[in-house]
Amino acid sequence: MPAEPPATGGYMVAAYVVAGTILLGYFLSLLRRAKRILKQRER
Amino acid sequence: MTGLSGAAPVVTLTRARAVVRRGIIISSIALIGIGVAAILALGFTPIEARQGLAQKIFYLHVPSAWSALLAFSLVGIAGGLYLWLEDPRLDLFAAASAEVGVAFAAVMLTTGPIWAKPIWGTWWTWDARLTLTLFLFFLFVGYLALRAAVHDRHERARFSAVVGIMGLLLVPFIHLSVYLFRTLHPQPIVLKPSAPSLPWEMLRTLLVSTVMFTLLYIGYVTIRYGIGLAIDAREQSDAG
Repeated sequence: MPAEPPATGGYMVAAYVVAGTILLGYFLSLLRRAKRILKQRER
Repeated sequence: MTGLSGAAPVVTLTRARAVVRRGIIISSIALIGIGVAAILALGFTPIEARQGLAQKIFYLHVPSAWSALLAFSLVGIAGGLYLWLEDPRLDLFAAASAEVGVAFAAVMLTTGPIWAKPIWGTWWTWDARLTLTLFLFFLFVGYLALRAAVHDRHERARFSAVVGIMGLLLVPFIHLSVYLFRTLHPQPIVLKPSAPSLPWEMLRTLLVSTVMFTLLYIGYVTIRYGIGLAIDAREQSDAG
């Protein structure tokens, strides 16, 4: 019978959460900066 | 050239808004695509027998490394072209690509140690590949700090172009470091002279993820470039 793979799922979840947080956080930062600079010019 | 030095700010602002909008659309598509790639990785790609589920970090770590190295390489190329042509669009693009590259490098440098811990038994090791990559990250953080510190536009572009070229020179060393030095980091399994050495399902998921990360790089750079255009418009308006 083949051996079970090691239980490393927690590391996988941590990596996906960290990557998602960085990528989405940067996206939101870009959106906020774009909104602020474009709004400033409209005044 | 569109409104960086000669055209009226209102024209540049209209263009900046259109560029930002285009970037948001591209980024949104890419983020959805990365979600699909994650579903593909978690649900429809086999579990590696020796590493278990931690091996699925591969589908994040490798595409983010690819995007970061692509971004930093293009900073260097744009910097070199700026020194030659002195076109401010190249400097604006280089600034955008450097910032986005730092974001992708942050993903690479956090997912790498999380993957390393269960496989190597340590979060970090000071071997050539990891150390050079960390150095490249700090080089481009310094690049961004330099840009913030120098106010003269032409000086800023020239100084940062030189730093960008230094970063570009590091990229091939990082790729080849696993051949040149003893390292824990595995050798390339796709970008190598022979055929990729992984099963088709894994290669398919990696390719989908890499395409989506590349699209996200394009989307983020487009938004950041649009922000740069808008900042230029403000500076021109303030000066005028």
